[in-house]
Amino acid sequence: MEIINDLWLGLQEFGHILPITMMFIGVIIGIVVGVLPGLSPSIGVALMLPVTFGLDPISALVLLVSVYLASNYGGSITAIAINTPGTPGAVATTFDGYELTKQGKPLHALITSLTASTIGGLVGTIILILFSVPLASLALSFESYEYFALGVFGLTIISSLAGKSPLKGFISSGIGLLLITIGFDTQLPFSRFTMDIPNLADGIEFIPALIGLFALGEIFYSIEKGDGIKAEKTTKVDLSDTLPIKQVLKLKGLMLKSSIIGTLVGCIPGAGGTIATFIAYDSAKNSSKHPEKFGKGSLEGVAAPEAANNGSVGGALVPLLTLGIPGSASTAVLIGALMIHKLNPGPELFDKEPGLVYGIFVSLFFANIFMFFVGMMGNKLWIKIIAAPKSLLYPIILALSFIGSYFIQNSVFDVGICIVFGIMGWLLKRGDFPTAPVVLGLILGKMIEENLRLSLIKGEWIDFFTRPGSLIIIMLALISFFMPYIKKKIVRNG
Amino acid sequence: MNVKNFIAGLIFVFYIVLLGYLYLGIGQGRTYPARPISIIVHSKPGSAIDYMSRKVAEIARKYSDVAFVVDNRAGTQGLVAMQHVLDIKADGYTLLGVTKSFVSTVMVNKSKVSLRDFQFIANMVSDPEALISNKVRNFSSLQDIINDAKGEKQQVWIGPGTGSRDHLMALVTSETLGIDVKWIDYKSGPQSILALLRDEAAVYVGNPADTKGKSNLDIISIASDKRLESLPDVPTFKEQGYNLNESMWRGFAFKKGVPNEAVEYVTNVLQKVVNDPEWANYCDDTYVFSNFEKQEEFTARIIQEVDETNYYLNKAGLLATYQKESVIHIILVLVIIAITVLLLLLAFNKFKISNINYDQYIAGGIITISLFFYYQTVLFEIPSTLNVTSPALIPRIWITILLVISILLIFKSKTKNINRVHYSPKTVLIIIIYLIIYLVAMQWVGYYFTTPIFILSTMYLLKYKKVTFMIINAFGFVLFSYFIFNQLLHIDLPLGWLLM
Repeated sequence: MEIINDLWLGLQEFGHILPITMMFIGVIIGIVVGVLPGLSPSIGVALMLPVTFGLDPISALVLLVSVYLASNYGGSITAIAINTPGTPGAVATTFDGYELTKQGKPLHALITSLTASTIGGLVGTIILILFSVPLASLALSFESYEYFALGVFGLTIISSLAGKSPLKGFISSGIGLLLITIGFDTQLPFSRFTMDIPNLADGIEFIPALIGLFALGEIFYSIEKGDGIKAEKTTKVDLSDTLPIKQVLKLKGLMLKSSIIGTLVGCIPGAGGTIATFIAYDSAKNSSKHPEKFGKGSLEGVAAPEAANNGSVGGALVPLLTLGIPGSASTAVLIGALMIHKLNPGPELFDKEPGLVYGIFVSLFFANIFMFFVGMMGNKLWIKIIAAPKSLLYPIILALSFIGSYFIQNSVFDVGICIVFGIMGWLLKRGDFPTAPVVLGLILGKMIEENLRLSLIKGEWIDFFTRPGSLIIIMLALISFFMPYIKKKIVRNG
Repeated sequence: MNVKNFIAGLIFVFYIVLLGYLYLGIGQGRTYPARPISIIVHSKPGSAIDYMSRKVAEIARKYSDVAFVVDNRAGTQGLVAMQHVLDIKADGYTLLGVTKSFVSTVMVNKSKVSLRDFQFIANMVSDPEALISNKVRNFSSLQDIINDAKGEKQQVWIGPGTGSRDHLMALVTSETLGIDVKWIDYKSGPQSILALLRDEAAVYVGNPADTKGKSNLDIISIASDKRLESLPDVPTFKEQGYNLNESMWRGFAFKKGVPNEAVEYVTNVLQKVVNDPEWANYCDDTYVFSNFEKQEEFTARIIQEVDETNYYLNKAGLLATYQKESVIHIILVLVIIAITVLLLLLAFNKFKISNINYDQYIAGGIITISLFFYYQTVLFEIPSTLNVTSPALIPRIWITILLVISILLIFKSKTKNINRVHYSPKTVLIIIIYLIIYLVAMQWVGYYFTTPIFILSTMYLLKYKKVTFMIINAFGFVLFSYFIFNQLLHIDLPLGWLLM
């Protein structure tokens, strides 16, 4: 068994004081990065990059992948606690996670999310170790046609997210899709719809928009309803009401499935973990026995996106290590780290530095397990924060949102974007327009446009249906779009 | 005095200490350099210029009394970083990492930023442009590429960007080789390499370092005078009879008007860096030529390149003037559309304004914005020389969908009697005003003064009453954010230009 040999080599590489210490530090910093709105995994990894210059390669990479992994989990904490996804990958976690918090069951959501994240991370790592070579050919087989189809597939999830009124859901996603066309054209060197505002030349920065829509939008909405004003108004949390392990274990099949979805989508360069979370959420809802509970505090709705999100970490490392191509913004920084340590990412790395590559794999395992324990301890702290009076909490969240939007590009303009999207989120919420589809539009718009136009340069419209890959994804998209309506019909008739 | 009061007092004292620490150190020291010199980099960590700047900073530690610190300001192909440097006083503490791509960036974007605003201190490396192909193509020389191009199918060349350095290189090269190729912009280096690995194209125009670790790629030729010592088997264009010299240079610039002593100091340090054996290692490792040029030589080179770039951009149709409507004109159009939509909504509701419900207002707003965007797509112009699909295509698809659904919603909402409990948005509006004041004030007097005031006043507005907790919360948060951001993550929060 060559693989066991390699893993043993990796364990020897990893099993020293410095790499292990870096894993501990990385996990803790990663959770902090994830919790803080605005600090996405890629920014967290980039911030840690200079720190790694003085370290040996294995310690440096262990630190960075631990930050990457743990920040993907950390984002879900604020998503559940205060409806503010700390990272883009945690958007789908707000749907049910925050609902559970409002019902006084934040601990249920937090434990489910932590367990799902850990399982996702472990499954992703196992898939990475066993199947990185076949997965690399999957990553390679994705052409612009398939990317476009995947983008459309992502969009069809609106039908699951729309809630009561599908029309309103479509409008929300349309807003996102249209707004993301602002800025640099995908093919020509000029900017669209910027009205000569130089800061808009590069388009709307995604994270401030996200923070605005969710954090500010929610705060404005609940203050208007009078929630924040009464000093003593708090979310009631029953601390003794922890989640029985039995209930978590019931979700194991779903977690496994979602982890695999996350890893597969994560390994496609440029698709990314965020899309994976939406696809996992949608697929969980479609296959659930209780789809009606989704969006109203379903544990399945928390488990699916979280497992997918952390599964995508292992996936994103596939193209990095096998092809030398970064699959996401975070892995792009990892490539930089490899280069700085005079290592060439790509197929040669496995041959030349097996100890290092498998050392990273082994560290991912331990990082996942350590993350679980840190997360369990952390839960007590988050619960205290959730139980604080709203009038004490809201000003802090607003200030945090400000810093979060500011330091992505050190740009005051981005803070303005955050406020504008906050107002937009509030106005939409007042009229029962769901805000999640706006985010979906913002995430998928660029991918759809770039790849549609690239495909049309290379070929014709018909190519989308003659290529097996894109055809399959388009079929899946159609099924996913009509599934909720068909299900409703079936329920009504029988 | 109870424990809570004591904690509140302690936190306040710490806050004052922090303020003293942050602000009292500013402005000390007279002789240059008195504090670290930052290197502004226009791309994300890990990119070529970022790596070079970090290497320079690392080696410079041996030769400089102060540290060089890399600061990444990515966006709009470098315009964000350039603008950032121009916004700061020319005191010699802010270097800009510059690359050849800036020449075309300012031209193509018709930006207000000009290369004339900068003083180019020194060039460091020259990174030859290279033609790279997939091993399965079995190209070994330029002649192979030419032969393949003369076949039936039009040859496809790829790389990141339209109007980018690589695109220009493709134009120059195909002209030199006398072949007709189709350029496809794959947006980024990694996406281009993926496409090359899938054999979607014959040639990827990039730099030798792009092939690092990828044994399935071949470098056919590099566009430099001589071969790279680190890649002895890769031939140059010249050897094959084509006189082509195209390199991406990377160096450093100051904003114009920096004191002479700063220019001398930095030039001196950079020269010592280049002579360090570690630098030679770096160059070999990233497949670039070390090419140190001082101010005069460097500037002369750039002036020459401006003309060249202008010629090729023009030829590609990338400088074609697309009309820019004046902002006032555009806003006027927006107002006209908004009023028209509002009047139509009124007419639809039998001219009773109270009949218009909330859904209809939102739908009306969306129709307004959609029509406004549509108006702007009409103004787009595409240079006919370019092989692209219309930039108006996708926005128009979204606009059409939005218009149809919004109109449907207006009809639907009329039949439904929407009875919603309405709360007063007064508090929310006040908070939004607070936020805007906070934002403006933060730029003037900095994060550390404005944040506690914002938090305290918002808590007061939300009718929180316990003063001790208010103090712990507001000042404690500032201390907490200082430690997390400044100390743990090394992010500087704004100190405010009024106090600097």
